Amino acid sequence: MQGIAVPISVVPGNSPIHRINPIPKMVWVLGILVISFITRNPVILGGVFLLGLLFVTIAQIWPSYLRVVMVLFPISLTLILLQSIAPAFPQPWTPIVAVGPFTIWQEGIYSGLSLLLRIMCMTTFAMVMIMTSHPSDIFASMQKVGLPYTMNFILTMTLQLIPILQSEFNTVLKAQKSRGLKGTGFAAILPSMVPVFVGAIERVQQLSISLESRAFGSSGQKTSYRQVQFGFKDALVLAAGALFSGAMTYWLLVDKTLDWSRTLTFSPAFALILFFGAGIGFLLFIAFALRLVLTA
Amino acid sequence: MAKGKPVIEFKDVSFGYAAASDREFAIENINLTIYEGEYVALLGLNGAGKTTLQLCINGVIPNSIMGEFSGEFSVYGQDTEVTSVREMAKLVGMVFDNPEFQLSQMSVAEEIALGMENIGFSFEEMNRIIPEVLKIVGLSGLEERSPFALSGGQQQRLSIASALAMRPKILVMDEPTSNVDPIGKEEIFAVAAKLNKEENMTIVMAEHEVEVMAAYADRVIVMDEGKIVLNGTPKEVFSETALFERLGLRTPQVTELSAKLAKKGTRKFSKGYPVTLDEAVSSLR
Repeated sequence: MQGIAVPISVVPGNSPIHRINPIPKMVWVLGILVISFITRNPVILGGVFLLGLLFVTIAQIWPSYLRVVMVLFPISLTLILLQSIAPAFPQPWTPIVAVGPFTIWQEGIYSGLSLLLRIMCMTTFAMVMIMTSHPSDIFASMQKVGLPYTMNFILTMTLQLIPILQSEFNTVLKAQKSRGLKGTGFAAILPSMVPVFVGAIERVQQLSISLESRAFGSSGQKTSYRQVQFGFKDALVLAAGALFSGAMTYWLLVDKTLDWSRTLTFSPAFALILFFGAGIGFLLFIAFALRLVLTA
Repeated sequence: MAKGKPVIEFKDVSFGYAAASDREFAIENINLTIYEGEYVALLGLNGAGKTTLQLCINGVIPNSIMGEFSGEFSVYGQDTEVTSVREMAKLVGMVFDNPEFQLSQMSVAEEIALGMENIGFSFEEMNRIIPEVLKIVGLSGLEERSPFALSGGQQQRLSIASALAMRPKILVMDEPTSNVDPIGKEEIFAVAAKLNKEENMTIVMAEHEVEVMAAYADRVIVMDEGKIVLNGTPKEVFSETALFERLGLRTPQVTELSAKLAKKGTRKFSKGYPVTLDEAVSSLR
């Protein structure tokens, strides 16, 4: 059985970001999460996004990062399409230009851009964290912070189960096909589901017996093999993350002039290019994905 | 072989799985005593009750598997109906027959560490023991590999290593060599024999490989339909060639050959049929 790569998983490396304890990285991710949700200002979100890309560069994870973004970005482009003709924004709206029966609104472009950037900000930082920390280290440090061991084990096991089920599913599918199963897409997937899930339940039963035989949940003192260090540098990164997000949050909440939804105006040409660009980008992605599915 | 004190005692033990539709007993009226430092091999067709018998030893039956249990059973004087499986784990190491289903961790080293973490070994101890057990099972250098990226045979060795790491007094193995190549099979038997000799570990192993069993085991127990039908040294047990044939089991080929020669009258075996190749060579010379 060969290992199957989960698209979002650790990228081995030895960059400065790889060497940092996962906890400070998690603080950064949480901080960015808060920042992205309290502002709609596209320039600030864009700045945070650029900072994320800087981290991607430092961590040297561009190829793996792009592999995820290439799926995520075209899908997020639909936000621009939908928002520009139906903004999630309080009325009144200011029209910019008409496209057939639709009107592209000023607030729509603003809202679409900020939603897109918000998604990119959050995912970029989250990916930097996930791709630079070994899952075992993440779990080990989470345990140190106080996550119960059982909870931790469930998380680890779930992460393990995804590629296992994937490979089991492939085996079943091949077996079904070799026995003359016709059809592609859902018609082929459905009959394979039952054996995969029955197998998964059986696996879990056997695993629980075998874990119990290895003293899982034993009453005494539990030790940990995975040692995670928390040094001065980690503390520094944590403090920087907390400070940055704290200061940003405060500034964004206090400074009311940062709401540019009425002041930042878009020219009709810009609106049209953005609208059609997003549409074409999304359609290209769909066409590409369909081709991939149909040829598989 | 000098017998130690009795460590595993079955007194009239019967067990029937609650899930079984016909309410039949998987093992019935088992009376068996296994002594410290013994190397016991269990033999029998699939469904003869070998696995059920082994699951009793660390208390998975009757604690974790539902069913009808009767009789008295103890390991090192501890009643498994009272002591939980997780406490029993400090005494009894289990290796199950489906290696892939026993693994759960991200790397080989962590997989081995799991059991040790649960019973509180220190980090230094774990760091010392992990390379040690990996060397014993022949997996050195694979510490950082994902357990799921190993071959079936390697996974089986890993599950043995994981059990060994907890320093059990009794090692119970259910067909531990089913996925291993012929040389690996011999190696695993030899590892078990070494632990048995050097650390006086009691070994209970269910297997189909009669040749290897004859060479290493102190005692062979043959099961059929939930009952023990033969119990003795390999030589005693494998001499019953007729019974073996009736049960649908094989004896070692040299024993079979000798029995056929004896039947034809070409040879007489005054000291009983040989069970290993070396014995056969000397007695057929």
